[in-house]
Formats: sequence, structure tokens, C-alpha cells
Amino acid sequence: MECRLGQPLGSGGDRATGAHTLTEQGAFVVTRCVLVVDDDQQIRELAAASLGLVGGWEVLSAGSGAEGVALAASRQPDAILLDSMMPGMDGRATLATLRAGPATGHIPVVMLTAEAGPGGAAFVPDLPVAAVIAKPFEIMGLADRVAAALGWDR
Amino acid sequence: MTGPEIPERAPATQPEQSVRSALAALWQRFKGPLGEQVSVLEAAAMSCLSGELGAAQREQARSEAHKLLGSLGTFGMPEGSDIARSIETWFEFPGSVPSTEPAAVLALSDAVVALRRCLEAGPAPGVVTAWAPLAGDAPFLLLVDDDVVLAEGLRQEASARRLGLCVVTTVGEARQILANRRPEALLLEVPAGSGAEEAFKLMRELHAATPPVPVVVLTRAARFTDRVEAARLGGRGFLQKPIQPRDALDCVAAILDRARSGETILVVDDDPAVLAALGAIVETGGRRVVALREPLRFWETLAETSPDLVVLDVEMPDVNGVELCQVVRADPRWERLPVLFLTARVDAGTVQSIFAAGADDYVAKPVLGPELATRISNRLERSRLLRRLAEVDSLTGLANRRTAEESLGRLLGMAKLSGQPVAVAMVEPDRVEAIDDERGYQAGDEALGRLGQLLLRFFLGDDVAGRWGGAELCVGMHGMTRGDGVQRLAEVLEELRRHRFPDGRGGTLGASFSAGVAQYPDDGNDLRSLCHVASRALGRAREAGGDRILPATRSTHHPERATADVVLAEDDEALAGILLHALTTRGYRTRWFDDGQDAATALQGPDPEISSRAVLLDWGLPGLDGLRVLRRLAETGVLAHTRVIMLTARDSESEVLQALDLGAFDHVAKPFSVPVLIKRLHRALES
Repeated sequence: MECRLGQPLGSGGDRATGAHTLTEQGAFVVTRCVLVVDDDQQIRELAAASLGLVGGWEVLSAGSGAEGVALAASRQPDAILLDSMMPGMDGRATLATLRAGPATGHIPVVMLTAEAGPGGAAFVPDLPVAAVIAKPFEIMGLADRVAAALGWDR
Repeated sequence: MTGPEIPERAPATQPEQSVRSALAALWQRFKGPLGEQVSVLEAAAMSCLSGELGAAQREQARSEAHKLLGSLGTFGMPEGSDIARSIETWFEFPGSVPSTEPAAVLALSDAVVALRRCLEAGPAPGVVTAWAPLAGDAPFLLLVDDDVVLAEGLRQEASARRLGLCVVTTVGEARQILANRRPEALLLEVPAGSGAEEAFKLMRELHAATPPVPVVVLTRAARFTDRVEAARLGGRGFLQKPIQPRDALDCVAAILDRARSGETILVVDDDPAVLAALGAIVETGGRRVVALREPLRFWETLAETSPDLVVLDVEMPDVNGVELCQVVRADPRWERLPVLFLTARVDAGTVQSIFAAGADDYVAKPVLGPELATRISNRLERSRLLRRLAEVDSLTGLANRRTAEESLGRLLGMAKLSGQPVAVAMVEPDRVEAIDDERGYQAGDEALGRLGQLLLRFFLGDDVAGRWGGAELCVGMHGMTRGDGVQRLAEVLEELRRHRFPDGRGGTLGASFSAGVAQYPDDGNDLRSLCHVASRALGRAREAGGDRILPATRSTHHPERATADVVLAEDDEALAGILLHALTTRGYRTRWFDDGQDAATALQGPDPEISSRAVLLDWGLPGLDGLRVLRRLAETGVLAHTRVIMLTARDSESEVLQALDLGAFDHVAKPFSVPVLIKRLHRALES
């Protein structure tokens, strides 16, 4: 499943080099690409709206851990937003698979979790993730939080 | 509810506005599913109260509560997330909360009720707001669609074109907007099947409004069988999803340009204040003013906008208005274009040079509103009359050949852009020569004139109807397939048959016509080949006795076997007569049986006497009843290539089900209206 909400019109997407977008000033910029993995379609679309429209990033989405791993390997996103609680392969198992994969091990992961209360990142203490963001997230602020966690300029 | 997270009146930044818009649309789409999630919790709470909560239901409830906790806050209902969290906890640790304890169960049901209430109240105002607030009376498009991605794409594209876009997700919300504001055009998603009714109802209302609001229909269905209905209700265009926002707005813009009732006026002046003032004075009653500050772009703007009148300033930098006018007059395309001058100098020399250059009139600066408006109106009036004489065929009132060719060319160009079909029909009254010979040319002209007027009434908007030459007329129908075109012309023919015309000798005369219909791009890529194919079909219609419309076919004939499009098995002779006439009018080849046994024998077997695409099968037939005929057809494999529609007088559900189980494609209960049956038949043959 793929959602390209917010992707600028007419920007061809070659993931190997980053999607090129012609800005109004006529300069080429490289758009980042984020993969959202969540079994809840509402969350996928909310996140896609937020990351696509505020962040201006290309957003891919996957409805299960397995689909997320496959998409991450083939599309090489710049970061992955991963839900912690999913049926089948849950967030922890998905993360382990991503880390172990040669094509996906380097991609930073931000965990989305409804288990941790606000500020409760301690709930997932020893996982190799760049950040933990609690659900429900604030729709205007999600992109900023992801950017801050990954050291991206916004 | 807690306060809105985004202040309602704060000037929204571009992405913030986009997110709010997207959020509003997502909320519209998901409030139903969210309600269903809460229903799961309600059912689980009920089970708790009666002490019947099983492990599976508990886990399902926990899972839904978890999802609600994750999403409600983001939708702008943080309270909802808090409640969902407490409910999740309740279901997650059943051991710690004895589910049989009344106080605990009551607390759960209270929480579920509170959650439902929270959902019904919706997000805090300001978090989910309507789309971009629209300034006063700025022109805007109204989109009725729940497709968030398309909506956002259109919004960006529209804003780049300085057009407002208002997005709603339901027909009901569209009505609320329409009650207060009139959009330039409505983009309406029409779902296939029964969901279309509500959308059609709105289209009917808008079509009746004065002036009608142009409607562009968006549809996901590759084969949109309701096209004919949509066209009848004034649909100006069809766009098939998925579609690029840019293409969608190009199509809308083209339709708006042509739908504009008034004229386009090109004003060339280097003074922006003059341009603004003129715009305000002239832009009334649907007139559009194109203001041009750079006279060097005059020619390209002229070609782009094809104005009905040009207002020129005498003295401009780089270019002299009088010289410009001379060049305009020298170009055969523009020699009739009215030109009006604005001039600060009204000395005899200046005025003389203005008229010598071919100008129609001049107005002295400073410009006075009423005077300029009157002079522009006078000029346009005169040019309208001249143009009518040049473009309209006086006998039929239709476009003349040259104008019709131009319009049809534009229609095909537009279809190429939007990937839509166009039906092109050649139409000719029946027995024209006979009428001319027997009753004189006047009666023949009368018949042709009446047909022309009827076509004008039935083909509006994007459709083109013109006189091709002699008694031959040509009709172009936007977004229509061959079958759609046949259907629409059949309606015209049925209307024509209702009337009798004076024959010039004190008597009256019935009239009919024949037509052939071709489809772009299937039957040809250009007007010439399409007309040629349609003419051939017209020839076949005439040979078959006239009074019918035939689609162009790339005929694959099986001469060894009689083929029919529709077999009618019906013992009521009067009803059969009506149906056969309606079917023949639409170009269907028909065979009629009044006995079930005869019909079954002719149709069944590996080498049947008749091969037919559809069978209209009466329930109560002599010989062999309809259900037995159907069973026979099913058993002998006929249903693999033949669609059967049962005509049943009984509204007995079990019999209908029996017929459908046996493989009937559809059923229609008697008494039925013939147009409805034809529509169902059309669907059966198209699908």
C-alpha cells in the first residue's frame, strides 16, 4: 500500500537519488521519503497527511510489519515510523527484522506507541530506535518531532 | 472539550492550511468507522453487564480501544483518547478488575457512553474546519468527493490558478454551501450503481437553477453506464479517476470558458488603474475581462482568449494602439472583431486616425462607467448579430458546416486530453426526397427545420449539432460511447414521433429520422473518418427501413446462423409490439416469440437456430413457462453467451430468487416502464 499524499505534483520519484522537486525558485531539492508502518488505516493516513503536507516528504505506508520490511528493502526510505503493537509481526519483531536485513539495517526507525504515556519512552528502553513518539500524536507537530529526532533540517 | 490546538482565526500557513483541510476530509471519511469501533466497545460492555464476556470478545474490544486511543487525539479529541485508554486498561487486565463487580462494570459502561458522546460531538472547532475560508464573492469550485489525495492535489492546483476550491464529502454538505454561494462549477463524484441517485438528484436541482451551475462528473468506474443520465441532467464533462489534478482543472477551465454566458473583452492599457477601473465597470452579467498591461503580448493573448471585443489605448509605450488596430483589421481572422478606443485626446486628427485604422468606436478618458458599458454593449450586440448570420444555418437553427466542424474538432481535442470517448452521429430525416417530390420543397424544409430545433433542445452544453449539407445533420456528444449516443438519439426520435407537422397543403405529416453513430477513438481518430463511419451506419439504418439509429459496427458476421441482439419471448402482443418498436429504434436486431417452447427450441443446443446476446423472457408463457425456458437455456449452456432478463408479473421474492439462482442476469417486474427496461437491457449488454 502506498500513499503519496503531499508529494509535490510532477516530481518524478527515483528513490536511488531521492525524489527531485523543482521549487518555485527553480532549484532542485531532494525530497525525503518516510515509510509509515501501522495496522490502523486511520493512523497511516493521519501520519501521511502530516508528514506529507507539513514535512513535504514523500510518504509510503504499509499495513503490516511484513509489508513494511518488504517496502523498506525495495524503496529504501530515509526513515521508518513503526507502530509498536500490530497483529502478527509486532513492532519489536519488525524492528529486529529490519535491523538484521542488509538492505534495511541502516534505516533509522522512529517508534510510534500508544503504550507509553506522554514522555513514557522508558517503556521501550533498550530498542535501537532514534526516538519514541507517543500516540495520539499532534498532527501539526509530528513532522517536526521526526525531523528533530533524526537531525534533519526542516 | 479541551481548547482547539490550532487557533481558529490565526492566519494559517500554507502547510497548516493543507493539513487542516486534509484532517477535515479524513474526519469525514473516518467518523463512520470510528463509530463502528465504539460499537464494538458498547457490545463488549453489554456482555460484561450480563456476565457473558468471552476471551475473544474481550481481546477484540481491547484492540479497538487501543486503536481509538491512538487516533482520537490526533483527530482533535484528546479527551476521547484518555477515555479509550481507561477502557483499554479495563479490558487488558481483567484479573485486576473483577469484571463481575457491579461498580467496575458500571464504570466501564459509563466510560463507553462518554466515548460515544465525545465522538458525536466531533473534534474541537478549529481543529477540523472547512476548507480554505473563501473571500467574499471570489470565484470558486465546489468539489464533492471523499478522496483526500485528489482534494489536496486539486486545492494546490486551484490555488496556483487563483481559484478557490471548497471541498465537501457529501451531497448534503454541498447543498448547505450551494444555499449561500454559487460556485463557478461543481466537481461531483458519482458512485456507480445505486449510490448515484443522490448525486443525480443534486444535478437535477442545479440544472434547473438559473443560470445552471455547470457540473463535471468524476467517476471511478471505467464503464460508466449512467453517462446518459448524467448528460440529460446537464453534466458538462466526465473525468475518470485516477486523474491528475492539473488535467482535471484543464477540463473544468475549458468547460467554464465555453459555459460563460457573456462575452470576453480584452482590454489593453499600460495603466493598471485604468485596467482595474474598466474591469469593475465592464465585468458584469457574466462578461469576462482580460486585462493586458504589456501590449507586446497582444497577439498571443488575442489568440489565447479569442475575445468578442477589444478595448485599446491609443498611446502606449512600445506599441501604438492605432497601428495595432490596423494590423488586426488586416488579419482575416480578426477583421470583424469590434475594436473600441480609449483616448485622452479627442482632437479631430486623433479621432480621424482612429476611425481610419478601422476602429468601431472611441471613448474619451477619463472613462465614465455608464457610457463605456453602453458603448460596449452596442458593439457586442451588433457583432453578435453578424456572427449569428455567419455561423448559424438559417433553416435548422443549428451551427453551419464550418462552425460545426470547428466545434467538433475542439470536442475531439478535449476528449483526447481527458481520455474520454465522443459519439459522432450522422442524422437524416426519413423520406426527404419523397416529401420533396410529393409535397414540394417547403414540406421537406419544414421537416428538416423541426428536426434541427429538436436536436438543439436535446443537445446542449458541450454537445455539438450542425447542418452538414443537404438534409444531413451531424451531432457530437461529449463523453458518450456508441451505445450512449444511440440511446440519446432514440429519445429524440421518440419525441419527434409524437408530433405531426403541417404538410403545406392543409394536412399533417408524421416525421422520423435515421442515424448512424460512431465512437471516438474506436471508430476513427479524426472527424473525417468518424463522419465516414457514422455515414455508413446511417446508410445501413436507411436500408433497414429507416426510423432507427444504428451504431457503427466492425461487423463479424456469421452468415450460417441468424443472429439477433435481443430475443423477446412474450405472449402479450400489444406489449411485444411496443417493446419491439423501442428496440428497433435503438438499432437492436430483434426476434420475437409468443411461445416458450418455440423460443427454447430456437435458442438452445450447440448449433442453435438463433444466437442472441440477450433474451427478454416473460414469466407466464404458453408452451413452456419462463422459468422452464430459463432452466433449459441454463442446462444447454446458452447462458454463457446470452444474458436473460426475466419479465415477471409477480413480485414474489422466491420466484425472483429462483430465476436469479438459475442464472438470469436481471429481472424487471410488470408493469414496467419501457425506458427502465431499455436501461437495464443496456446495462446487461454493456457489462
